[in-house]
Amino acid sequence: MALVTDRKGLCRLGCLALLAGVLVEPTFSQEWPPLSPRNANYDIDVALDPSTRTLTGSEVITWRNIGTVAANSIRIHLYWNAFRHTNSTWLKQRKLVGDDPFGEAPDSDFGYTEVASIAVINDAGSVMADLKPVLRYISPDDQNVDDRSLASAQLPSPVRPGGSLRLRITWAGKFPRNFDRTGAIGNYFFVSQWFPKLGVFAAGGWTAHQFFANSEFYSDFGRYDVRMTVPSGWLLGATGREQARTDAGNGKTTHRYVQDDVHDFAWTTSPDFIEKKQRFEHGGLPPVEMRLLLQPEHDGLADRHFTGTAAALRYYGEWYGAYPYGHLTIVDPAFQSDSGGMEYPTIFTGGTRWLSPRGSNDPEYVVLHEAGHQWWYGMIASNETERGWLDEGLNEYSDSRVQAEALQPNYYVERFFGDFIPWQFSDIPLQRDTDTNWMNSYRQMGDRDALSTPTFQLWPATHQAQSYHKTALMLHTLERRHTWEVMQKVLSTFFIRWQFKHPQPDDFFAVVEEVTGTPHAWFFDQAYRSSNKFDYAIERFDSSALSSRGLTGTKLEFEEKTASDRFRTTVVVRRLEAGVFPVDVLVTFSNGEQVRESWDGLARWQAFTFDRPVKAVSAQVDPDRVLLLDTSYTNNSRVMDTHAEIAATKWSVRWMVWLQDLMMTYAFFV
Amino acid sequence: MSIGAAFVDGVMRVKRAPWLVIGLWLSTLVLALPLSLALHGLIGEHLGDSMAAQSAAAGMNYDWWNEFLAQSTGVGKTFVPAILGFAAVLQNISGVADASGPPSPVVWVVAAQLIVSTFLSGGVLDRLARDRAIGAGAFFSACGVYFLRFLRLSVVTVAIYALLFVTVHGWLFGTVYGRLLEDLTVERTAFFYRLALYAAFATLVLFANLLFDYAKVRAVVEDRRSMIGALWAGGRFVRRNLGATIGLYALNTVAFLAVLALYYLAAPGAASNTLAFAIGQLFIVLRVIVRLQFAASQTTLFQGRLAHAGYVARPVPRWPDSPAAEAIGP
Repeated sequence: MALVTDRKGLCRLGCLALLAGVLVEPTFSQEWPPLSPRNANYDIDVALDPSTRTLTGSEVITWRNIGTVAANSIRIHLYWNAFRHTNSTWLKQRKLVGDDPFGEAPDSDFGYTEVASIAVINDAGSVMADLKPVLRYISPDDQNVDDRSLASAQLPSPVRPGGSLRLRITWAGKFPRNFDRTGAIGNYFFVSQWFPKLGVFAAGGWTAHQFFANSEFYSDFGRYDVRMTVPSGWLLGATGREQARTDAGNGKTTHRYVQDDVHDFAWTTSPDFIEKKQRFEHGGLPPVEMRLLLQPEHDGLADRHFTGTAAALRYYGEWYGAYPYGHLTIVDPAFQSDSGGMEYPTIFTGGTRWLSPRGSNDPEYVVLHEAGHQWWYGMIASNETERGWLDEGLNEYSDSRVQAEALQPNYYVERFFGDFIPWQFSDIPLQRDTDTNWMNSYRQMGDRDALSTPTFQLWPATHQAQSYHKTALMLHTLERRHTWEVMQKVLSTFFIRWQFKHPQPDDFFAVVEEVTGTPHAWFFDQAYRSSNKFDYAIERFDSSALSSRGLTGTKLEFEEKTASDRFRTTVVVRRLEAGVFPVDVLVTFSNGEQVRESWDGLARWQAFTFDRPVKAVSAQVDPDRVLLLDTSYTNNSRVMDTHAEIAATKWSVRWMVWLQDLMMTYAFFV
Repeated sequence: MSIGAAFVDGVMRVKRAPWLVIGLWLSTLVLALPLSLALHGLIGEHLGDSMAAQSAAAGMNYDWWNEFLAQSTGVGKTFVPAILGFAAVLQNISGVADASGPPSPVVWVVAAQLIVSTFLSGGVLDRLARDRAIGAGAFFSACGVYFLRFLRLSVVTVAIYALLFVTVHGWLFGTVYGRLLEDLTVERTAFFYRLALYAAFATLVLFANLLFDYAKVRAVVEDRRSMIGALWAGGRFVRRNLGATIGLYALNTVAFLAVLALYYLAAPGAASNTLAFAIGQLFIVLRVIVRLQFAASQTTLFQGRLAHAGYVARPVPRWPDSPAAEAIGP
């Protein structure tokens, strides 16, 4: 696709979205021109039994091979088997970092997906081949023979490129106690990764991984037509729009939701939800019906959920491309449900607290982030299992920018007394470049893995530091190097070109180079393909009267000269870590003059010398803090007139009061 | 004697003992100073000649703070945002309520404070019970006399507090709270459960504290040598004057909360000003006064109800007359 300018791209998407809005009911999107290949279509009937916390489902998958070679087998994800027993790959990986949620869990906490039947069927629905006898659990990623989160079956005949396959699968699912954004607690059911789902067939084979602690999901676009039967009177939210509601008269109601051009389907139901609606309208963007399913105790936070969602719809819409679906459901998860902060097509979970200070971005941040995933994950359907940074990182970078633009002030908050009572630090407004880009997380764990490591192979504790935080800082570094206007064009170009497709990292890098017009391999080799850290520092800063001693003349006579009106300033800049980045060096003199030098940053050190009629007062390397990946910015500057003593006194005095108060608190017991 | 009268008399006794206030305040200052100087050195070294020092001196440089924390070990790790202003109070009380204990780099300072407080307790109670200046010699003599007795008493108090903070707290906030929360989906309910458990736990801890307070009061006023006997006698006094002792404790607790409220209003933030030190230390002084007020009013109540006002069994120790004085003779 040729490069589409931002304005044209926005317009095209906006028109499509408006068209979608008109056609959405009652026959959703049949006439809507396909936005995606729609090659993995699911027609599902499922019934929930809340008393046993089980699902009984039946689905027909219509899959079209859009690859270039024939498919001889299928790969089916059975994600809930990650919670089947303590030897699953998901749990074994969790245990690597000391997290053992099933260590002492009762049997009711375990969950599973059990396939009852699987068959190839024809258009009339007749069974052509029973695949159950050849269905095998496989573990290509870690050879864990106990893992049952991925299954394979040999097909009786290959599906050639362009050919189709229809599968009918019946299964039973047992909800786990809420783990990893799915499961049930009390009367709250969040139902995600719940149906047997095909992997992605491309590049000559299936891309389908087991369920790992770090990894999320990857699948093809299609049409989902899902009928969910739940107790009557329970509120239900799901991917798509509700098309029909049928009361069976036996205390059960079936809700039918349909959505085209998505690659997953999640739903939730509970009798406790309260429902709120608002309509997003903003000039130049298609309207969006926002539906909020809220916990009653968060009634006072409803507007803040809509504010966060609307911020994403507006800014992501203006910057990258309009949201085309016309509707979006926000789910406020139940306390202890572990289902907060997760994205699914046209539905996502937020997550907030009963006591939430007005000056903090809770719940706005998480709502904004998950709404933002409608772009980076929903429409840009990158492989989250292998390249989690492509959705999480791009989204984190984007949402931190939105927070800076639209959601201020945003103060630091800590909680006390069992993590309940919030305290807002009005002295600590969170900054985009360091705080909402999560500099501190990157600072501590940025070098534990390389970003290019497949996400499911990242050390479980470093996934966020890498995929979210390092990427946000990496992109923000590019923004500071090239300006926001350029980065906005990079991201909008990437979005428009790759929406409803499966881009790879190289596709993103290619867009960066195309839009900036300069090669960037040097940067991505370090920031992406290596675990190098960055740290530039002023090692020496000296400014004194120009002098010389020794045999300086031609007569070999000792001379000693000190100029009263000339001063030599020496600045030695050092690269302390392996990461290389071109930086500026700024020296400020006492008369206000500033001299800026550029350094390619390659050597381990570089000396700069300046002769001036006045002394220098300060020296800085990377004075504009372009390189946000620099882990120690304090050593980037030196001044002649230091304030360290004042600062140290000020802060140690405050700390001393804390210590005295601590002593008095414990002295109470004596 | 009514609890109101005991409270007011306690206030007056503390007012008439300014050196106790100054002494106890200085003890916290002296104990806190070495680690504060160590932290001062760490901060100064980290900031060096950087421009970050300017912003850290003038106001808040949170990025530098995080960088410092990421690179720190030991006492530097305790320099967290929660030390700021009133958050410091919340963090410390929350730490006790959640039985998380003091941060390990400062645990020895807290332990030292407990030992110093135990040492000073005898002198403080003796001074407050007599309600008149007794001189440094008599004060420290009383400290010495009761230090070993209170150390023996602390065997019991440590055992009881350990039982409360380890076993009972673990049971309440581990087992009971865990079961209450098992399938709970409403945070507000969880909060009120926790609040109820805090109340139950606080009742036990404060009642134990009340018993130990009166055990010490009786040990000093009646010059008791048996700490088991003092504990028993203290308990008997509390049982016979349950309403008065609890009422007085509650009144003193209100005074403590009033001090916290004042600090909530006045606590200095990050902005640089010379008043920050003064406000912080004034708060510590007020905390010392409240602590003394507990002791003074409880002593007053005991003396008023069981002994006669101002009665202290032990004579005021006198410094031995000098050989010269003996030589002069009567």
